Amino acid sequence: MTGAAGRIGWAPPPGRPGGGGEAHRAASIIAGLCGSLFLLFLVAPIARLVATGGAAGVGKLVSDAELRSALWLTAVTATTAMCVGALGGTPLAYLLARRDFRGRAVVAAVLDLPLLIPHPVAGIALLLMLGRESVVGGVLLRAGIRVAGSPVGIVCAMVFVSAPLFISAAREAFARVDPRFESVARTLGDPAWRAFRRVTLPLSMRGLIAAAVVMWARAVSEFGAIVILTYNPKVASVLSYDRFTSFGLTEALPVAAVLTILALVPLIALRALRPDRGAGMDA
Amino acid sequence: MIELTGLEAQVGTFRLRDITFTVPAGGYGVVIGPAGSGKTTLLETIAGVVPQLGGGLRLDGRDARGAPPERRRVGFVYQQGYLFPHLSVEENVTYGAADPAFARDVARRVGADAIFGRAVRALSGGERQLVAIARALAMRPSVLLLDEPFSALDPRRRTEVRRTVRALHRELEVTVLQVTHDFTEAGLLGDVAILLDGGRVLQYGPPEHVFRRPASPYIAEFLGAENVFAGSVRVLGDAAPDWAGAPPDAEPGSHGHHAIEFRAGPLTLYTVGDAAPGPGYAVLRAEEVVLSREPHPTSARNQFAGTISELATLGALTRVTVDVQGTPLVAALTTRSAKELALAPGTPVYASFKAMAVHLCLAGGAATRAGPAATSLAQCAGASDGVACRYCRTRYTCRARLPSLRSPRVETPPRRGPSCPSPLPIQWATPSPRPRTHRPSWPSMHGA
Repeated sequence: MTGAAGRIGWAPPPGRPGGGGEAHRAASIIAGLCGSLFLLFLVAPIARLVATGGAAGVGKLVSDAELRSALWLTAVTATTAMCVGALGGTPLAYLLARRDFRGRAVVAAVLDLPLLIPHPVAGIALLLMLGRESVVGGVLLRAGIRVAGSPVGIVCAMVFVSAPLFISAAREAFARVDPRFESVARTLGDPAWRAFRRVTLPLSMRGLIAAAVVMWARAVSEFGAIVILTYNPKVASVLSYDRFTSFGLTEALPVAAVLTILALVPLIALRALRPDRGAGMDA
Repeated sequence: MIELTGLEAQVGTFRLRDITFTVPAGGYGVVIGPAGSGKTTLLETIAGVVPQLGGGLRLDGRDARGAPPERRRVGFVYQQGYLFPHLSVEENVTYGAADPAFARDVARRVGADAIFGRAVRALSGGERQLVAIARALAMRPSVLLLDEPFSALDPRRRTEVRRTVRALHRELEVTVLQVTHDFTEAGLLGDVAILLDGGRVLQYGPPEHVFRRPASPYIAEFLGAENVFAGSVRVLGDAAPDWAGAPPDAEPGSHGHHAIEFRAGPLTLYTVGDAAPGPGYAVLRAEEVVLSREPHPTSARNQFAGTISELATLGALTRVTVDVQGTPLVAALTTRSAKELALAPGTPVYASFKAMAVHLCLAGGAATRAGPAATSLAQCAGASDGVACRYCRTRYTCRARLPSLRSPRVETPPRRGPSCPSPLPIQWATPSPRPRTHRPSWPSMHGA
């Protein structure tokens, strides 16, 4: 990875020392400028937000019970959504990576659909499916499970919008493991499930955890679907929106800054868990 | 025992068709074939990793069709080893073993115990193969499938490990089927050799039989027979001294051995067999040809005077091409013999070989025991790259001077060049430099 990155730099290609040096320097300067501007565009708003509201946000964490409650609710619902997505999505990801069945392309396309539709639309669809007036929602309500306007609704919205990301990444993680590892385990006496548990799962674990972290991060940042399905109790994203519309920028800023600082957690986890060389290469 | 009858399997667009052979219980089978011939797919089908589409498969007398891999008691060693990188070397070896002490003992015997403490990722290709072999044997399989298991080992280690595997194979009474590209290995190890190409078995039988009596000129070429002549068979009369009647218990249609005269251009070869008259091919392995500086009276029925046109030395072995009236005849001898005879290009010599050394392949592949007749020779005439007939000097074209191992095999009897009075001598088996899709290792059946 490092070697590849080294080769991608703007150093003159080997065998041409100094050849076209001026042109290379000019290209490097232009690319550097473009890159810096783009990076500035991405980083500047976040840096400004943290710089302006960071200290107040940390103070708010102590004094603002609603903020603490929203953050706690966000963490719990996102973690629950991640677990649901991982449990339900892992077998599907494995099937998509390993089995060649009829309609596989259709299933893969359907799984990408929640990523393409606007999230408020996803919220409306979920409300239609799970709201009190719907058949499913009615049945669940009679069973004592309220979906709309409850943490269950938040989890549903989070799963709906973020599970496709998990499945896609988990599928990649499984595909990176050469199926012959599994074949060897089978010939060594393992039934299919045990071969999966003893070989495929450990070999794809880093990729699966990375997929779960991506899903968790996406669930934490979800707003559009949640706000339609469950405005209250408020998760952090809804709270920041609520503070902004009710009290203006000054009140919304600390909440937004805290959310941004907390977003660093999955980012750091992802960097640490980035899958190393594929297991298939280590036959 | 591994018993396949008409086995069919498919991976992607590649298909194994009508695979039939048997490796007896406790036997050692070797699968030989060019790259892409289906060797690994064949092993994977036997292991149950690739689904079997048709035909029969019995392992140790039990019907294995549809049985999952874990119930077949088949050990599998891939060329790349496929060691589990998240486990230690020791954990790999004991992975499927019911008796860890036995697993460690097997590892010690193949030399894998010395690397127990190392990480799998840090192992070399050869070390991985050692561990993979130990892992497969540690589970005490009844059938062991080896896919080029020694390819990454250095020559010294390869010999040792080969010997150890052979010893363990006898000791554990395990039936082995091994894929190899090394004909020497095939000759040394195999009780049964299976020649595979294009997803089909071209020939199988004892390696000695397959190497010395290839069922077709194509097989002879693949197995490295240097001398293959197209010509015609003439069966000598029953009164000829070589005639032997069929034994009383012979199968109907068996006529016993005849003296046979095989004419290939200026060469007239004598052999014995039960071939029918007509066009065919004569195969003669280079190591069967004896060279001398003087014409000595010997029992060899075939002796020709010629001139050395080329010498190629490969270490202790030297390959000598003798020009016999314009037809090249290749002899393999030790370099020491070549030096003692003071052989050099232009030296007149006498080449002789026994009648029994000549193997006839009839057009139609009558000698094939299993699989289709396979010949891709002699589509001569009609084009223009202008190879002159050595006898009538008419220029004709041999489009298939070098049959590609992957080319469709068309059964074409040898044809004469226009107005050529003699049977066309196919020259493709000459040792002159030419592109080959596969250059087999030096034939070494003498060492087998």
